[in-house]
Amino acid sequence: MHRTPHIAQLNRREALFGFGTGLGAIAFASLADGAVRPPHHAAKAKRCIFLMMEGGPSHIDTFDPKPELTKQHLKAFTRRGEMESAMSSGKRYFVKSPFEFRKAGNCGADVSSPWIHLREVADDICFYRGAQVESVNHPTACYQLNTGNQFGGDPAVGSWVTYGLGTENDNLPGFVVLPRTSYPQGGAGNWSNGFLPATFQGTPLRPSGSPILNLSPPAGISRERQRSDLDLLAELNRQHLAARPLRDELAARMESYELAYAMQAEVPGVIDIDGESQKTLDAYGIGDTSTDAFGRKCLLARRLVEKGVRFVQAYAGNWDSHDYIEKAHGALIRSVDKPIAALLRDLKQRDMLKDTLVIWCGEFGRTPDNGFRGGGQSYGRDHNAKAMAMWFAGGGTRAGHTVGATDDIGATAVECVHHIRDVHVTLLHLLGLDDNRLTFYHAGRHKQLSQFGGTVIRELIS
Amino acid sequence: MKTHLCCIMVLAIAGRAATGQADEGLQVSAGEKLFALRVQPLLAEKCLPCHGADPAAIEGGFDLRNREGLVAGGDSFGEEVLIAGDGNNSKLYLTTTRREEGYEMPPKEADRLTQQQQWWIRDWINAGAPWPGDQRVARIQEAFGDGERVSVSRALSDEWQNRRYDPAKLWAYRPLARPSVPAGRHPVDWFIDRQLAAVELAPAPPADARTMVRRMSFGLTGLPPSPDDVVRFTDAYHVDPAAAISEFAEQWMASPHYGEHFGWHWLDVARYADTAGFANDYSRPNAWRYRDYVVRAFNEDKPYNEFVRQQVAGDEIDDSDVENLLATGFLRMGPWEQTGMSVFKETRGQWLDDVTDTVGQAFLAHSMLCCKCHDHKFDPVPTRDYYRLMAVFSTTQFADREAPFLEPENRDGFAGSDTWVEAKVAAYLKQKKELAAKIDKRRKQEIGNARVGNNGLDPGDEASLARLSKNITRHNLERDRTQPFALSVYTGSTIHRNNVVGRITLPPARWAKGTIDKDAIRSGGNVYSLADPVTPGALSAAESLGGMRSIEFPGGKASRRRALAEWIVDPTNPLTARVIVNRVWSWHFGKGIASHPNNFGATGGVPSHPELLDFLATWFVDNGWSIKKLNHLIVTSAAYRRDSRHPDRQALAANDPLGTLYATFAPRRLTAEELRDAMLSVSGELNPAVGGIPCRPDLNREVAFQPRQIMGGAASVYEPDPQPARRNRRTLYAERIRGLRDPFLETFNQPGPDKPCELRETSTVAPQALTLINSQEVFDRAIAFADRLMREPLADDEARIQRAFQLAFGRLPSQPELTSCLQHWATATAEEANKSYQRTEFPDRVSRTVMAEKTGQPYTFLEIMPAYTAYQPDLQPVDVDAPTRGLAIVCRVLLNTNEFCYLD
Repeated sequence: MHRTPHIAQLNRREALFGFGTGLGAIAFASLADGAVRPPHHAAKAKRCIFLMMEGGPSHIDTFDPKPELTKQHLKAFTRRGEMESAMSSGKRYFVKSPFEFRKAGNCGADVSSPWIHLREVADDICFYRGAQVESVNHPTACYQLNTGNQFGGDPAVGSWVTYGLGTENDNLPGFVVLPRTSYPQGGAGNWSNGFLPATFQGTPLRPSGSPILNLSPPAGISRERQRSDLDLLAELNRQHLAARPLRDELAARMESYELAYAMQAEVPGVIDIDGESQKTLDAYGIGDTSTDAFGRKCLLARRLVEKGVRFVQAYAGNWDSHDYIEKAHGALIRSVDKPIAALLRDLKQRDMLKDTLVIWCGEFGRTPDNGFRGGGQSYGRDHNAKAMAMWFAGGGTRAGHTVGATDDIGATAVECVHHIRDVHVTLLHLLGLDDNRLTFYHAGRHKQLSQFGGTVIRELIS
Repeated sequence: MKTHLCCIMVLAIAGRAATGQADEGLQVSAGEKLFALRVQPLLAEKCLPCHGADPAAIEGGFDLRNREGLVAGGDSFGEEVLIAGDGNNSKLYLTTTRREEGYEMPPKEADRLTQQQQWWIRDWINAGAPWPGDQRVARIQEAFGDGERVSVSRALSDEWQNRRYDPAKLWAYRPLARPSVPAGRHPVDWFIDRQLAAVELAPAPPADARTMVRRMSFGLTGLPPSPDDVVRFTDAYHVDPAAAISEFAEQWMASPHYGEHFGWHWLDVARYADTAGFANDYSRPNAWRYRDYVVRAFNEDKPYNEFVRQQVAGDEIDDSDVENLLATGFLRMGPWEQTGMSVFKETRGQWLDDVTDTVGQAFLAHSMLCCKCHDHKFDPVPTRDYYRLMAVFSTTQFADREAPFLEPENRDGFAGSDTWVEAKVAAYLKQKKELAAKIDKRRKQEIGNARVGNNGLDPGDEASLARLSKNITRHNLERDRTQPFALSVYTGSTIHRNNVVGRITLPPARWAKGTIDKDAIRSGGNVYSLADPVTPGALSAAESLGGMRSIEFPGGKASRRRALAEWIVDPTNPLTARVIVNRVWSWHFGKGIASHPNNFGATGGVPSHPELLDFLATWFVDNGWSIKKLNHLIVTSAAYRRDSRHPDRQALAANDPLGTLYATFAPRRLTAEELRDAMLSVSGELNPAVGGIPCRPDLNREVAFQPRQIMGGAASVYEPDPQPARRNRRTLYAERIRGLRDPFLETFNQPGPDKPCELRETSTVAPQALTLINSQEVFDRAIAFADRLMREPLADDEARIQRAFQLAFGRLPSQPELTSCLQHWATATAEEANKSYQRTEFPDRVSRTVMAEKTGQPYTFLEIMPAYTAYQPDLQPVDVDAPTRGLAIVCRVLLNTNEFCYLD
């Protein structure tokens, strides 16, 4: 019995972004492709935009005012102990926030003064003050926030979500990352598919140069030339396949070339924002030096989710303000304030905010105190795993509320306290996924995003 | 129907007991039996972790340690939690059916109870839910238990200690069997053919010579066969296939490329890298010497037991032997970093976890982390064993130890490396001096009681100063690449370190400074929460079930790792030989006889051919733990020689649906490294030199110039080696930077160097097609390939295409292939004749923009790249004529074909 190549039977997306034949993929063949899959339970959020504030933004200078800290300003003290790092040990002093806080929206949210635009959409936001992580080191904390595991090598949140739900656009990756010009500490491991099939790897759309590596041929190769080359390739591959008719992976590989060829034409169109109106560009702050970079990412995020991309993660930073927090955080807030407000408004206006989950946070928060560096005191803060800034908008979260609290100097969360794994479980829950059911067998056990299970933070859900 | 099933089950137990030693006078009801044999073990495994194991943290107040707690129902259930005699309406049963919204138990889907397990609970409730006392339960289990008890060191709980295992799942711990093979039969085929015969499936016929020569050349050296190899092998194969395979296997294994290829397999397990990862991603300048030690070990066919001893305990055995010191690099291969932002005690704890788990996975196929916080869910490995194994390493300390270069170590390129580092550091120092002068001039006294940055400095200048200093530090570490040090360890006290940068020297007195770590179980895996003390040891089940010779593990200042090494390689250890022969098998066949080479536990599955596995393991030990002999045995089997296609596909699908019977040989895609090496090989550019300091190939320039954050700023640009011969070495020698993966290799499924990789994955994704049709690297190879064809003394164009096919595929083109390629070439040449090319410029400085931490503003700086001052590019289009460029287009297509990228 002679069978024709299986191209026709192959799921288009399977061939485009993944046709796993590895160990895990064999055991989970039915889950190895990115086709749309129903959620575990009815969900309000269908997609997610994760605004990743790399470096650790200070909760104390953004959304969590601490009048008590103002009273203690520059008061010195000493800290020691085997559970402290060199950074947090020794002689230290308290640092008040250089920013004023004003109530925002009908909900009366606490928002620091540099946020001019975000305060206008505060009623759409659910601020959360209870999250904690385990590491005060950037790469390990970034890995924990992005993958649930401090040590890297595990799948990113976006990989888990696309593994669970698939994606709605066969021509685009399901999980897109919009990194800064420089990659974060820990590098591309922050959007790795880990042990999940390669289909679910985050695809970075680079802010400069070729958006996807090798998307275009080197100079001098015309599209006609490439078509002709691919035709010869297909001819040679067909003869090879004719003698191996049962080999699905060979047929899939042939198809992947045709899809790559199609992608070359389609991707630039999706990411080209020139077609947007001047009004839109202005709203996102595109064209203004201070907001252009993140404005483009926010607009692109909206365009991508509109095209069916499941999970977009956009990076901004670096929020690691050990010194000069007024200057550094001031500039950083200005660089994201207008773009984020525009994104929330834009999603709302398109009636997409209701089913798009937007998350804003960094890998940890910052300390109320600082160390003596360079011989004197300065307005800055070190890393804090026990309290951090985080908010949610849309996707079934509790708009216009502030959940949880930190102590009176912002050193540690004290109310509605949850480990970051519970934030992950909640994120999955909002997207219709049950962390306990979204598992993958690897290295002897069924692994899950939360590592060993977690709790949905009900207070965040409307 | 349901009752009926229940009766069969109870009868089965009674039937078994009748044949065993019955406990005279023990009167037991069916309900009691069900509880003791089924329900209680189920509660212990599935429920107690959250409902009783930690009395201080009982979920939902629902305590399942005793009947009273169960009946009380916790916070959520009332009397309906257990209605004696009515299982179907008891909540305890209903939660296990997962039909109770919000109370699906156990919570994790993967832990769900089977229907039979659910019915045990229901039927037990139907029988009145009797809950006999512990002693009675023990008596019942003793009399009627059908599972197997395993004696282990000591569990955290009695339930676990007394639990019983499905005997079939304990296969890995059993003593090695010595199945016999009839004289004259190849042992591999004897076992494989028996299973094929059992399902009446005829194996596929032998593969043809061309398939075999590619399969063996890649399989044993990772490189394609030369056209000469193909001719010689084909001739010999036609005369006597078995003799040809035997002889050529010896030849390939005698080539130094064998050690490179097999070394790479091992380095996947050891997760080799040249940098430390995390925030600084500092260079590990001497890691390459471990890599070359591994290559040498395979080339010399070092007995595997010796290979294990050296890696686990080389320094303790004899630290005057340089190979011993180099080998212990294995223990330090994982990502590791201690900075001022990390707590030393935790960093130390993380390494101990890492080394315990890695030694478990690599040598014993046990993922030890599974029992770090609780006794193993499925396997007879108590948490105590985890901390016993960890205690072996608690006196192990890092040191970069003096280790003179050995004669076989390749020291080429030392001068070039030092020159580059020197130039890079000098350029940075010059910039730093200029910047410091500028800053000094502009810096103003800050106003106010705390600094806010009103110091008159330009945005970015302060950040640049930090960046320059950090990169100077980083490059200075690279000077040690050419210095005689080994990434190694010693045995001594633990010295607290705040910030580790560069070489760690061996303290003169190893026990004088620091403290000796306390060996104890850490509750919940927490380094601050020490519980029961432990003494060094290993897997107690391997000793009790495997009937291992007893080996004393010393504590204190003695050589703990040496004892572990002896324990691992003891011929009576049931795991070690099975683990390595299974790995070697998987390197040939793409899958193990036991399907998870890093996990021989219950979840890893039972072996497809257990007798073959045992035969190979004992044969291997009998034959001096020789990997080369094992390879020879495997590749001379008929199973290895089979065609990848089967003449009767329906019979194959029907009788071997899981593809585990070896009726055909499993085809595979080349690995990332093989693909790159094969391209360099056919293009004639491959530098076959063996060993030496890492080389830096060209990698995608956008990625090379992509700024990446490290602590203190942006890391330097990636600079390739200036000379093509250094760049175009085997991929094994390419510097592996944890924070900067080569996108070509990553796209083709090269595993990340953070976790041990048991087997390569193969995915087919569109970015692979984009890489092979569009990337500069593949263009470069195609130009060189075409140039080679044009320069060789070949008669005409037809001969050139024929030669291209011979090099790429090991065969001549068919007539239609020849015609198509000639035509394509002609068209391409005509196009190329009308094009003019510019020489690509490679400036030696680049402008980069990153964000200044202290200002939140972008800043731009200039970076000097000394590698580009004398950079010799690979052959460019401008260097060759239009016919060569036209031929390069054909060559590029050949490099993209399935035939080039796959092995049959």
